Amino acid sequence: MVTTPATSSTANARQHGLLAELSALRAVVRREWTIFRRYPSWIIALFIWPVIFPMAYILSSQALAGPTSGGLQIFQRNAGTTDVVGYIVIGTIIWMWQNIVLWNVGFALREEQLRGTLESSWMSPSWRFSLLLGNSVVQMLVMLIFIGVSLVEFTVFYGVRFNGDPLLVVLMFLLSIPSIYGLGFAFASVVITAREANAFVFLVRGLVMIFCGITYPIAVLPGWMQSVAQFLPQTYIIYGFREAMLNGASFQALLPVYQILVVFGAFWLAVGFALFRRMERRARQTGALGQY
Amino acid sequence: MNNWAIEAEQLIKRFPRRATPDSANGDNGPAGKTEPRTRWPFGRKKEPAAWFTAVDDVDLQIQQGEVFGLLGPNGAGKSTTIRMLCTLLEPTSGLARVNGFDVVKQSNQVRQSLGTVLAGERSIYWKLTARENLEYFAALFHIPAKVARCRIDDLLERMELTNRANDLVEKYSTGMKQRVAVARALLAQPPILLLDEPTLGLDPQAARRVRELVKELKAEGHTILLTTHYMEEADQLSDRIGIIDQGKVIALGTPAELKRRISQQDAIRLEVAGWQTEMAESLRQLPTVENVVPHYTGTDSLWEVNLLTANSRAVLPGIIDRLNTNGTRVVNMNVVQPTLEDVFIHLTGKALRD
Repeated sequence: MVTTPATSSTANARQHGLLAELSALRAVVRREWTIFRRYPSWIIALFIWPVIFPMAYILSSQALAGPTSGGLQIFQRNAGTTDVVGYIVIGTIIWMWQNIVLWNVGFALREEQLRGTLESSWMSPSWRFSLLLGNSVVQMLVMLIFIGVSLVEFTVFYGVRFNGDPLLVVLMFLLSIPSIYGLGFAFASVVITAREANAFVFLVRGLVMIFCGITYPIAVLPGWMQSVAQFLPQTYIIYGFREAMLNGASFQALLPVYQILVVFGAFWLAVGFALFRRMERRARQTGALGQY
Repeated sequence: MNNWAIEAEQLIKRFPRRATPDSANGDNGPAGKTEPRTRWPFGRKKEPAAWFTAVDDVDLQIQQGEVFGLLGPNGAGKSTTIRMLCTLLEPTSGLARVNGFDVVKQSNQVRQSLGTVLAGERSIYWKLTARENLEYFAALFHIPAKVARCRIDDLLERMELTNRANDLVEKYSTGMKQRVAVARALLAQPPILLLDEPTLGLDPQAARRVRELVKELKAEGHTILLTTHYMEEADQLSDRIGIIDQGKVIALGTPAELKRRISQQDAIRLEVAGWQTEMAESLRQLPTVENVVPHYTGTDSLWEVNLLTANSRAVLPGIIDRLNTNGTRVVNMNVVQPTLEDVFIHLTGKALRD
């Protein structure tokens, strides 16, 4: 084959505009999905982790409840639900979701930087944010599977009975995405220049674990900690899922949570995008993309 | 209007570097520059801003259809120059145009005009097959799927990868991975190719295959800028060569023109057992001897020593006398026509591999 060079870029067969960008995004999604499938250990982890992680909290709650489970009644009064196990598993599942996004989306570009493939994708004429967005789409699919698997496993192994409108739960999931992934985008952009961010992941997930009440109601926190919790979207996500899935809350009851999540989502997506653009400019000045 | 495929004018790239005590005193490496200390208004000393100049005032004009070799040792500024031309890096100052497009203001058009092989085998996904890699990059370059399928089949055939196209790249040899990287660069049929050390780490056979490919691509009309620190490669492939050292292009011309610069001189290659450092100075004191560059071969305490002289016949007895002392001995010696390596030694006083 003779690869006769085109004399100008426009003389070459190319798609243009939004359609071309969507094709590129689809290619990133396909690439990530194909690579994901080639690591069987990741798939196995998807099935094992949801069962194991909440187990420590559930067993602790049973131990603390005492032989007559009297302690659970006090917990139930504070938490506003009779399903303590369901309460814990929803908290832990949101924590695991944020944790996975921080590791997988947050380190998506860093992984490419380490492999050496970031520069070759970066030199294409495609929209560069698609590289991060495509990775996130795959992570969302993986998380959908993860949450689906978790729900089945919680029902089978822990006897949790979910009691709510599935559509409202799906809406809660969709409105949680911008906040959780916006933070992931912001994180991914910072990691490219910082190159080492494990400590920051531990900090963020620690904050979520303590301030957002993944296994306890935030009412038990000191006043200043409750104030901090109000500024974390995960607080509302956890609360909203519990209300939607355990207490059968109506749309009207959940509306304030949805509204707050829209505001947080817009904020974190804007922050994530702004930091990505900043990283893009900075990388051109410092050559950070090729460093590892 | 000119017809340069690649053009650079007074191109400079400086990187900020954390100040060290040495750099603050102005000792910032050969190509480094240090800005003067500044003070905050409240009397606190601001950390001195140290800068490393990786590319220093480079001017280049590469014609369409030309193979231009950028030859220099590691860290000379070759890759930084290429990264500026392919829009990965923004020049600190100066201008660069690729296919007539400004690398800063028209970066998207520049990327559409270029095929690049940077980082070689690491620039492709090892957990994908060759075909999956090419399909992915074709979509990133906005090539319609139907067109991409035909081109991918053709490129796989050309790179002799058809039989292994559906195997994971991680199972390929380094040479095969490099061929996938070259195929990726050719997907969009770009008029200009930037190849950064395309044969680095390849075995001789794989390197020869890549060099043949470069010749074929030139014959097809591609403009090629290749960087290398292998002087035979630059000599064999390039229509013109720019020798770069410490960020500056110190010589530019056809391989023949560059070698003519030292055509009045002979290059002497010696193999010496038991070389002692002070012998270099002793040889330099011989009349007409210059640029004595010793290099340890890594085997049997043997050193390779290169030197240039205007009169090898007159100087050879003196060289042997000065080396065959105190247990040191000359085990091999050749007088050869100067190569590009000798040109580099003549210009810089050091070998390319240093």
